[in-house]
This record gives sequence, C-alpha cells and structure tokens, in this order.
Amino acid sequence: MDLSLSTRTVGDRTIVDVGGEIDVYTAPKLREQLVELVNDGSYHLVVDMEGVDFLDSTGLGVLVGGLKRVRAHEGSLRLVCNQERILKIFRITGLTKVFPIHTSVEEAVAATD
Amino acid sequence: MSEPGRSGPVRCAHAPPQDPGEQDPWAAVPRQRQDTAADRAIPATATAEQLTLLVVADDPGDALTVERTLAAAGTRARIRRARNLTEVERLFTDDVHCILLDLDLPAGQELQTLRQVLLMAPRTAVLGVTSEADTGRGAEAVRVGAQDYLMRAELGGTWLSRAIRYAVERKRADISQRQLAESRLRTQENARLERGLLPNPLLQGSGLHFASRYRPGRSRALLGGDFYDAVRSPDGTVHAMIGDVCGHGPDEAALGVELRIAWRALTFAGLSGAALLRTLEQVLVAERPDDEIFATLCAVDIAPDGTRADLYLAGHPVPLVTCGAGRPEPLPHEEGGPALGLLPGGNWPRQDIVLGDRWSLLLYTDGLIEGRIGEGSQRLGQEGLTELIAARLESGLTGQDLLDAALTEVERLNGGGLTDDVAAVLLDRPGPAAAGTHP
Repeated sequence: MDLSLSTRTVGDRTIVDVGGEIDVYTAPKLREQLVELVNDGSYHLVVDMEGVDFLDSTGLGVLVGGLKRVRAHEGSLRLVCNQERILKIFRITGLTKVFPIHTSVEEAVAATD
Repeated sequence: MSEPGRSGPVRCAHAPPQDPGEQDPWAAVPRQRQDTAADRAIPATATAEQLTLLVVADDPGDALTVERTLAAAGTRARIRRARNLTEVERLFTDDVHCILLDLDLPAGQELQTLRQVLLMAPRTAVLGVTSEADTGRGAEAVRVGAQDYLMRAELGGTWLSRAIRYAVERKRADISQRQLAESRLRTQENARLERGLLPNPLLQGSGLHFASRYRPGRSRALLGGDFYDAVRSPDGTVHAMIGDVCGHGPDEAALGVELRIAWRALTFAGLSGAALLRTLEQVLVAERPDDEIFATLCAVDIAPDGTRADLYLAGHPVPLVTCGAGRPEPLPHEEGGPALGLLPGGNWPRQDIVLGDRWSLLLYTDGLIEGRIGEGSQRLGQEGLTELIAARLESGLTGQDLLDAALTEVERLNGGGLTDDVAAVLLDRPGPAAAGTHP
C-alpha cells in the first residue's frame, strides 16, 4: 500500500493530510514533504494521521525529525489522531510527551499551548 | 583520417602464412599457451553471435586488416573505427564485445590512452595491438588491465577471431569473479555486523536457558539496527536487554553494535536501570549520524534467586511472560520512559516484576508484531503474538524450537519475509527441580 499526502493552509497553520502506510519504503516521501514545507517557511504544522493505517519506527523518526526542524524556527508540529493502534505506538515510544496530539484538526488549529 | 596511401608500420602482407598443418592455432600466441583447457571452453553461444568490435587506431589499416581477416575466417563482425578518445566516447556502446587499441603511441601516452579506454569501457574486453619490436609495451598493457595483446603482424592470422573471443570470455570471467568477490565481501560485512549485534550471552551459572533468533528485514542486503545481549554480573543478577535503532541500513546497524557494547560495558561497570539508560542515551546522541535517529530498548534485571526482576522500558514493546503452566501475557506495565534520543532528561521508572519459580520471558523487537495478517493493513500486534506463542507452548515447544516456530508462523502470516528486522530473545527458568539437569 502507498502513502498519500496533501497539504492545505488554515490561518497560520499548514495541515498535512497523511493517508496509507508510513513505513521504511514510504517514510522518505513524508520526510521530503516536511522538509519542503519548512524550507518554504511553514513552521506551524498539523499532521492529520486519521487516514494512516500503519506507522513504523522509521515513520516515527521522520515525525521526530520534522519536529526538530520546526522547533529550530520556533515553530510547532501537532498531530491529529484518534486511532487506538497508532496512539499506542506513540505511547509506547514516549512520543505522547513530545508531540501534542489532538482529536480533530479544528482543535489542533485552535491550540496555542 | 590518415591520407590515402600512407602506410602503417606493419600490414596484412606480413601476416604469418596460413599453415594448413598447424594443429594448434593458439601456438602462435605465447601467453595463451599457459591457459588451462577449462579456460578454452568458450560457450557455443559466444561463437554463434555476431561480434561488434571497436578498433582504435590513428591509421585505418588495422581496422581493414581485422575486417578482412575475420571475413576470411567466416566470422560475422561489425567493426567501428575510432581515431582518438573523443571518437571512442562517441562510438563505444554497451554492445561492443571487444576494443582493439593501437598501443603504438608516443612513449608515455599509450598507457594513458589505455587507462582512459578502460575507464570508459570497464566491462568490455580490450586487446592491445603493438608493433613486433615492442612486446614490452604489450605486457605493460596487460598489467594495466587489457585482456591480452597482439602483435600487429598477428592481426592477419587465422586465430584472430579466436583471440578476440578468448579476450571477451576472459573479461566475462573476470567480471563474474569480481562480482563473486564483492558478494563475498558483503557477506563478510554482514557476518561482522551480526557478530557485533548478536553476541554470545554470558550466563554461566545462572540456571537460565537462553535462546535467540535474528532475521534481517527483506528491505536491504545489510542488517538493520536490532540488537540484544545478556550477561550475569558477579552478584548473580542476570541482565538481559533487547533494542532497536529506528531506521534501516548500515549506519543504524553500526549504531546498534555501539549501543550493545556500551550497554555491556556499563553493566559490567556496575550500572543498571535509569542511570545506565541515561548514559546509553548520551552515547547514542553523540554517535548518531542524524538527529532523527532514536533507539528503543527493553532491559530486564533478574534477581540472583531467579524469582523476580526489575523491568525498564525505553519506548520499547513490553515482553511476554509465561509463568508456570499458565498462558503467556504481556508483563504488567504501567508507564515506561521514552525511547533513547527523543527527549533531554528522560526518566525510566523501575517496574518490579514477580516471576515465580518457573517462567519463560520473551523479549522482542517490533518487527515481530508488525507483520501483516491477511490482505488488508491489519497487523499481527501484541495480542496476535500472544495467541501465536500460546498455541506453540501448548504443542510443547520451548526454547530455540519455540522461537523458530513462532518466527516461521509470523512470516507465513505475512505472506513472506518481513519488511523490518526481527530479533527475539527467550529466557527460560525451568524451575528449581529441573534447573540442575540443565547446566
């Protein structure tokens, strides 16, 4: 299965809609997208994971890399996720303490903490 | 192009007479007499196919000679002529079987030209052509990388086409030998990394059985970054660990080796638990090739009496435990600490685990639970793994057999080799009565 990516802007936030499977094969595509956004000056990102079926450790590494990139510009990277099996991966790896995780894009866009 | 009428140093007129009584056509080529009979077994396909040759000489005479000689011998050949390196660049294509290169260039230039041609055509046979007075130059050319050399007079000989085919076959053999050597090196590299990642446990006197299994993912030739280790410290505590460097490739595998060695050294130095993980994280942060890279790790310190343990989790899946004759289940686990390299100042709380007299503990990396089950995006998961292990325990499997059977089943469900690396370690305590029978 492949990875689908699309971006849109809401206020000062850039939403990245991700669908499919983020694994060793597709993670480079997500990395490329995040790097491109940061290079173009988008430092407040919301990654919508609702359409993600699978996420492995390489994918987690790409999200961590994205967070480090936006933080270098005082930016933020928020996740939207309600799927228990994806949330479990974030909990196990301790990434719930690293990423703000929201239940909807609206909530993520409104968040300022 | 040379002006018409200009004569080269030696022409086909000087070709050796075609002696019908000459039984061994190779006899005229001294170097080739040394070759073994096996070398001469040129495949029939090579003889049947049409040859494409590139003749590199300032003078058109060589090419004409070659063309005429081959035609007379009934060898079908397409011949291209190049006068200099620029023309070689234009005329050389992958379908050229052999390059005949004039070595009669001003001293110093001939080998330079040969080197350039070898660079342009690394997979093509090259034959040097020298004047009779200069066999030293031919020998030099072979040393630099040409397959063979011919004296100009020999261009008109009956054995020319065989000399060419011979050079082509020799080049083919060289290439397959090099490929073989490369794949051998890769295998050695894997073996080296594997030795580093997957050590011999040092558990003498612990009364525990140790089994382990590692399988690299199918996404690459080299190993990934899964690692494990188990050692017994002088006070009798058994320290076991499994870890996974996120990402795939030789960098991650090398980092995995570093972390395993660091873990073993720190353990021998008396460190354990959160203090050890903090130090290990420092090593990771200092050594990792990229900020993105983090590592998950699960460490278990089993008390000397073997009935209880301390568990530390750094972003890693929780081990499965089977106590007595019960069913396997994930170890009770409230909250672990973060994976190493994610957060500065992470903390890794200790979890006290009661194991009892007889138990079996399975440490694994996430590759084992991320395999697919069926067509969709469904994965095995920890629940699926628990069921799978329970079924194999019920059929009486233990130790290495249990690990092998479990991994085979995970791969079968996935429909073939797993994407990610898989490492699994099984520690068994057979119980006080049985312990004595298994040193």
